[in-house]
Amino acid sequence: MFGKLIYLIRRALRNMFQSPVLCIATVGTVTVSLCILTFFAIIVLNVQSMTRHWSQEVQVVAYLDEVPSAAQISALVQSAEALPEVVEVVYVTRQQAFAGFRDRLGDDALLLDGLDDDFLPASLRLTLHEEFRNRLGVEQVVGELKKTGGYSDFRYGQDWLDRFESLLNLLRIAGAVLGGFLLFAALFIVANTIKLTVYARREELEVMSLVGGTSMFIKSPFLIEGAVQGVVGGCLAISLSYLLFTAFLAGGLETLFLASGVAEIVFLPFFYQLLVLAAGILIGILGSLISLRKFVRI
Amino acid sequence: MIQLYNICKSYSKDGTALEDVNLKIPKGDFVYITGPSGAGKSTLLKLLYVAERPTRGQILINGQNVTRMSVAKIPFLRRQLGIVFQDFKLINSRTIFENVAFPLEVRGRKRFEVGKKVYQVLKNVGLEHKLTKFPLQLSGGEQQRVAIARALVMEPLVLLADEPTGNLDLEVTLEIMDLFKGANARGTTVLLATHDREMMRRFPRRQICLENGRLTEDWIP
Ligand SMILES: Nc1ncnc2c1ncn2[C@@H]1O[C@H](COP(=O)(O)OP(=O)(O)OP(=O)(O)O)[C@@H](O)[C@H]1O
Ligand SMILES: [Mg+2]
Repeated sequence: MFGKLIYLIRRALRNMFQSPVLCIATVGTVTVSLCILTFFAIIVLNVQSMTRHWSQEVQVVAYLDEVPSAAQISALVQSAEALPEVVEVVYVTRQQAFAGFRDRLGDDALLLDGLDDDFLPASLRLTLHEEFRNRLGVEQVVGELKKTGGYSDFRYGQDWLDRFESLLNLLRIAGAVLGGFLLFAALFIVANTIKLTVYARREELEVMSLVGGTSMFIKSPFLIEGAVQGVVGGCLAISLSYLLFTAFLAGGLETLFLASGVAEIVFLPFFYQLLVLAAGILIGILGSLISLRKFVRI
Repeated sequence: MIQLYNICKSYSKDGTALEDVNLKIPKGDFVYITGPSGAGKSTLLKLLYVAERPTRGQILINGQNVTRMSVAKIPFLRRQLGIVFQDFKLINSRTIFENVAFPLEVRGRKRFEVGKKVYQVLKNVGLEHKLTKFPLQLSGGEQQRVAIARALVMEPLVLLADEPTGNLDLEVTLEIMDLFKGANARGTTVLLATHDREMMRRFPRRQICLENGRLTEDWIP
């Protein structure tokens, strides 16, 4: 069994050395296709972290009817904090609300001159866990708070949330469709390059099947070859896109993204690099299988 | 051993290569298949090693119905056969040694066994000094002998040879015939498609004549 595997690997290596040009061509196509895929993944991941950043804005503000006593406040805060969706509850007094409002007005703060600093209602600001920062989560929290009573009104940017969610959905669908399309295109291109290799050795394939080679025996060196080329192409794609990323893309994306308040642009995390390698292996093996189908009918 | 029932084969709608061929070849037989060019000799052999499937009829080899054989089983049928192709089918990018070693490799034989057997069979066809040459560096007759060596390297149950002596002079033909007779004496059933009247005169054996795809003569000496 083990000896057989070694034998098949030796045949695969030998085939690669026998037609180095075709081998390099295949590795090259794998590299280029995976590079494009890698860049696409970098952009998707960074857009995702950007939207995550935006979603921090999703907050529930619950306005209080009248100025409650200290005991009432701590009871309200405690019951709000007890909700599973809630991370943090901040009590904002009338005076703090007034100060905040004045700050936001900036130069127009003069308008507020002569007004009492308690004309704004006190409120609780609730920050939610990430997975609840959407319409459903927010409405759940508001529903719970309504049951407790004591609040006059709730604000959570309903319109903004709706638009934010449809944007997220759009990004998700576009990412999946485009990513799938890129992967498919990569497979198609690589399969066509491998077809050249298979075509160059079609005599050999025919003779092997005529002298009693099984389908697995004939195909496996090509599958091993495809997998090896996939791994090599994947490694090259990751290194190449890292170089290009640090040289050009990071700067370009940064100016685009920093405007929207994202801390930093990141390269593909390690787990995703492994995924790129896996995609390379998959493309190599599937590409070989597709090309062989036409030439090996046994 | 080999039985053909009502075999018809047509490659296209109008032309038929074989028409209603019935044939029984017992184990250990030695049979010439003769007939003019285009009569269907190669087609008959192709049906036997399942490179083609008959349009109609049944073929049994060693009790197995070849006509309905699944694709996955074909390699194991072919391992019982030794085939000399009319166009040799040698791989030009491989040495003579590697070409002859193929039937052993697909069976997963050990390397020392492969080396021993290949050397022995090449010696039998008189080419042991050309082991490391490539097919295109050999003459037509030498290539043909390599093809014969590859067919005989595994001591097949059935030898199917399509014009194996077409390019050879009488002297080499006689040597090759000795190889075939030797294999036949050890139990191999031999089917030999040929035009070579001299060979058939010197070694009279059962002769089957095809004409326009029909079996017209079945002569036993
Ligand atoms: N692959 C094919 N496609 C279409 N027609 C074919 C094919 N192979 C053979 N034929 C036709 O079938 C008929 C029989 O061919 P076959 O090769 O069996 O003849 P043959 O007896 O071997 O002739 P030769 O002595 O010249 O080798 C011929 O008329 C040929 O044109
Ligand atoms: Mg022929």
